[in-house]
Amino acid sequence: MIEMLSEFIASPVMRDALLPSLLIAVVTASMSVMVMAHRLSYLTVGVSHASLAGLGIAVTLALPLLPTATLFAVLIALLLALMPRRKGISEDAGTGMLFAGSMALGIILISSASNAQVDLFGLLFGNILTISEQDRIWLYLLAGLILAVLALASRAWWSIAFDPMTAETSGLPVAGLRLLLYGLVGLTVILCVKLAGIVLTAGLMVLPAACAWLWGRSLGSLWLLSVVFSMTGTIIGLLWSYAHEWPSGASVVLALCVLFTLSWGAREAVSRLGTTRD
Amino acid sequence: MSAPVVRISHLRFGPVDHPVLDDIDLTLEAGHFLGIVGPNGAGKSTLLNIVAGLIKPDAGHIDLMGQCLRRFNRPHLLRDVGFLHQLHDHQPSMPMRVRDVVAMGLRAYHWPWNRTAKSEAIPQALSLVDMAEHADADFRHLSGGQRQRVRLARALVRKPRLLLLDEPSAALDTVRQEKLFRLLRNLCDETGMAVIMVEHDIAAISSHVDSVACLNRRIHHHAMRGENIPEEIWRAMYGNHIHIVAHDAGCIGCGPGEHQHD
Repeated sequence: MIEMLSEFIASPVMRDALLPSLLIAVVTASMSVMVMAHRLSYLTVGVSHASLAGLGIAVTLALPLLPTATLFAVLIALLLALMPRRKGISEDAGTGMLFAGSMALGIILISSASNAQVDLFGLLFGNILTISEQDRIWLYLLAGLILAVLALASRAWWSIAFDPMTAETSGLPVAGLRLLLYGLVGLTVILCVKLAGIVLTAGLMVLPAACAWLWGRSLGSLWLLSVVFSMTGTIIGLLWSYAHEWPSGASVVLALCVLFTLSWGAREAVSRLGTTRD
Repeated sequence: MSAPVVRISHLRFGPVDHPVLDDIDLTLEAGHFLGIVGPNGAGKSTLLNIVAGLIKPDAGHIDLMGQCLRRFNRPHLLRDVGFLHQLHDHQPSMPMRVRDVVAMGLRAYHWPWNRTAKSEAIPQALSLVDMAEHADADFRHLSGGQRQRVRLARALVRKPRLLLLDEPSAALDTVRQEKLFRLLRNLCDETGMAVIMVEHDIAAISSHVDSVACLNRRIHHHAMRGENIPEEIWRAMYGNHIHIVAHDAGCIGCGPGEHQHD
């Protein structure tokens, strides 16, 4: 085990992947508590899958992949934020339609671009081990932006999640802040694509907060626990990936699922013990 | 003389041929405690939402603290308005300490550099509703009545000049209800805060409020303290099938001092 760990740390590929992966873990953990609080889990699934169309457009028009996909994901997220206002279309129905439609468009565009060298498996399931220098810069910029906005707006978003009417009467621009949150979800989804891919991104956006929700007693502890679970899952996932040559994104998401299952079991056990003592 | 805290003139909400609220006129001076009664669907909550700036009326206008409530000055005017609405806690499973819930009522809470959780206003507001000892408790573990008192503390924490309450006693037992109404009466008398409170039980509030507005789409009657509300007003609001019971003389109540059956 110790030998494997030292090999893991010595491996240049893993060393290069570790810092971006941990940065993604911190950003997604911070966003995941907002996603849970605002009940946007399905939105993250929708936006991440819809971003395939953005990648398809980028491939077809020979545009830079990540910036184009970022723009597209943010546009999709904002469109979904505005959709509930249209009569007769609920947010989940809108998400379902855009999710399927954009994914279909993305698949057609990518399969039509026969001369393009596209790592479809990498896009769908992620591969942080192949991160380029350009991707790394893009990732640091996005992560910095997301964390800065989170630091500024998180309390207002907590208030809106807890009680939007009271938030509105406190003078908060609820509609504008909600749009900003949806846009930030779009940005975070793209940030995750390199690690977990389009298909698995929702796991990174939901599981850390789901683990933390079982134990958190205040907003501060909820965020801290979410970050701890997210970083732990990422390190375990990368270790599994290295040891068994599993895909890195799937390994991280699987590790987070295992952490959630253990956490949930432990929470149940603690609750039952408490009930027995009472 | 300072401007009234609220002045509502010719307010209408909804289509002209079937309005939810029609031709509402109300003026509240500082320290006035107004109760609003009326049947379900009478437009009571809608009226409070309009005064709180959450809904735009279709006609008429509202002055808050002497200024016309408009979109651009709404955040500024709402600094002086506390609101306890009926639709509680969009996300009740969020792990929140009681002091955090109350802090959300402070505008400054929403700025990350502001340490409002240490503000003196929070324990003061919690003391008013007898919840000071629960400041560090998990909000999710409180009873329905305790949660309601914390929500009231959140509405009071920024010391509003106008407090809007939509059925605040719904989750409270009789003793707590009485304490709540007495607290509101004292706040009106001591701080000059004006209160608009929607309630169904007129007997419970009649000895505390300064006046009662009988609302069913329009204000059928506005009775001052000590004034009886005529029986035909009750029937106009609730229909002819109602059973009217008189209560203490001298309070706002129904007309004849005997049981009547229809």
